[in-house]
Amino acid sequence: MADLFSSRGLRRWLPWLLLVAAGLILPVLLPPFRLNLLGRFLSLGIVALGIDLIWGFTGMLSLGQGIFFALGGYALGMYLQLDSLEPGQLPEFFSLYGVTTLPGFWQPFNSPLFTFFAIWVIPALVAGVLGYLVFRNRIKGVYFSILTQAALLVFFNFFNGQQKLINGTNGLKTDTARIFGALVGSDAMQRNLFWLTLALVVLSWLLCRWLTSGRFGDALVAIRDDEPRLRFTGYNPTAYKTLVFAVAGAMAGVSGALYTVQSGIISPQFMAVPFSIEMVIWVAVGGRGTLIGAVLGAVVINYAKSLVSEQLPETWLFIQGGLFLLVVTALPDGIVGWWRAGGPGRIQAMVGWPPVAPTYPALDLDPQVLAEQRQLESRPLSAGSASATTPQQPPAGEP
Amino acid sequence: MNVLELREVSVSFDGFLALNDLNLQLAPGELRAVIGPNGAGKTTFLDVITGKVKPTRGDVLFRGRSIVGQSEHRISRLGIGRKFQAPRVFQNLSPRRNLELAIKGDHGPATLLFGSLSASQRDRVQQLLGVVGLEPHAGQPAGGLSHGQKQWLEIAMLLAQDPDLLLVDEPVAGLSDEETDRTAELLKQLAGDHTVLVIEHDMDFIRNLDCPVTVLHEGHVLCEGSMDAVQSDHRVIEVYLGVDDPEVQSVETIA
Repeated sequence: MADLFSSRGLRRWLPWLLLVAAGLILPVLLPPFRLNLLGRFLSLGIVALGIDLIWGFTGMLSLGQGIFFALGGYALGMYLQLDSLEPGQLPEFFSLYGVTTLPGFWQPFNSPLFTFFAIWVIPALVAGVLGYLVFRNRIKGVYFSILTQAALLVFFNFFNGQQKLINGTNGLKTDTARIFGALVGSDAMQRNLFWLTLALVVLSWLLCRWLTSGRFGDALVAIRDDEPRLRFTGYNPTAYKTLVFAVAGAMAGVSGALYTVQSGIISPQFMAVPFSIEMVIWVAVGGRGTLIGAVLGAVVINYAKSLVSEQLPETWLFIQGGLFLLVVTALPDGIVGWWRAGGPGRIQAMVGWPPVAPTYPALDLDPQVLAEQRQLESRPLSAGSASATTPQQPPAGEP
Repeated sequence: MNVLELREVSVSFDGFLALNDLNLQLAPGELRAVIGPNGAGKTTFLDVITGKVKPTRGDVLFRGRSIVGQSEHRISRLGIGRKFQAPRVFQNLSPRRNLELAIKGDHGPATLLFGSLSASQRDRVQQLLGVVGLEPHAGQPAGGLSHGQKQWLEIAMLLAQDPDLLLVDEPVAGLSDEETDRTAELLKQLAGDHTVLVIEHDMDFIRNLDCPVTVLHEGHVLCEGSMDAVQSDHRVIEVYLGVDDPEVQSVETIA
């Protein structure tokens, strides 16, 4: 019990307590509209976590995460289209284009089990194959970024043009669909989806933490900092990069599926170039290589965007651009990086209330020394302050 | 059988011959120093052995087998370790973690993810931290270490890999005299069990190593022999000074 309230115990448990509290209180506190927004933005935190994994830790700046995000969204969207049909019917949009039989690739999406896997396995496979080809040829840095963006455009144009296959630019609507008998757009279902999103964000965070701590994580950081050096140490970076890129792809897929059911539609707009760049901005603002910063960035920026856009719709792009400039110039490690580097203390000092700086950090901050200091201070004065502070001094005059 | 053999290796960069018909043999357990003026092709020579640069012509044999065309990590796994000219350690990782990455063993993703270090690997890391005197700094990011400490950390990483052939590029650049002596001792100890090839500019250090010296010039071997023999060779004096001055008796006077 004492441990729970000590500063270390508190630091360890407080975030989890807050998280559970938020999960229980927010659905009651927030009106359904706001809760739905929060759920959507939380689901974007998952794709941001993936970007942090490949960019913040491994140094690969992908501007094409929208591909995997949309693939996950389409997988779930197609299942929902089929699931709410009477036997023998086709999704409504097909009749507009004179399609009378369900295209073959739709068939497996009748199965919920297949869809469950398709949401994350298909994006992971696409990312894995794309990544392998790129990494094997040692394409990296800005060339990798350009390539991912080009791939994004290819996917965008393909999906946009395929009316007869997936309703092209109109996308697939999901909020009037039914899942397990309940309307996807209903308040009760949206609340469940909020909880599911919250759980999956935590799960994704744990996965990323597991990947980035330990020797595997060290290898990722080594790839980011000096890839050729790691090769000469007997590592094949291609295997590592392909693996984390596929994991980030899978996370993008899950994120896209959750975002789709909470926004009610999946369309090629999810593969628009600006959206994938925004994802990178969330991570940059939250803090690269911090994991929690990615989630924070995604939620805070998107919530700010929706609040600002309600009042002053035309100013948001300026604010977003300004935010990115601020982070690039003043906060290279993002909000969380700034916080961890003692940023709040510097602000305190600026307003004339400086924190006490340790003279000899190694000594002054040593837990044992601190404990002894507290012990000494709590002793009554009558015990003799001189003997308490200098216990080793021998009495004068003794031979 | 020679541990390493280069047969008429040439490397051409857009017509410029960085290596030109280079021949070199290293016997097992040998300690060999390679010197040469700037631009002699010393670093390209290491790049060719470690797979970073593919030779335009010729063959590189490691324990009798050609390693030309193999990727860097495969050559490294065969047992060729390299220390770079400027210390290249992973700055954001602590010395302990640097060594844990380098330690001999399977370096595949699955092992790093699901496996853990064996007791002997962990002991070896601890021992190496002691050998290079980095125990007090074992937990802090290596970027904060001094230049000399980074040099030693990189040497420790090389030892952690436990290669048969150690290629050491300028190990004492920027080290104090005492550290230089210790490095020479260390390399001499390693020879015998390992084959060691050292590239260095510091003539005192090479004399200290007390081993055969190969002089490179314009991409090929100018001469080979003991330090004394090499230093009094008139061709060596010529390439180091640019003229064959009869007054200059040895390279020592230049250094």
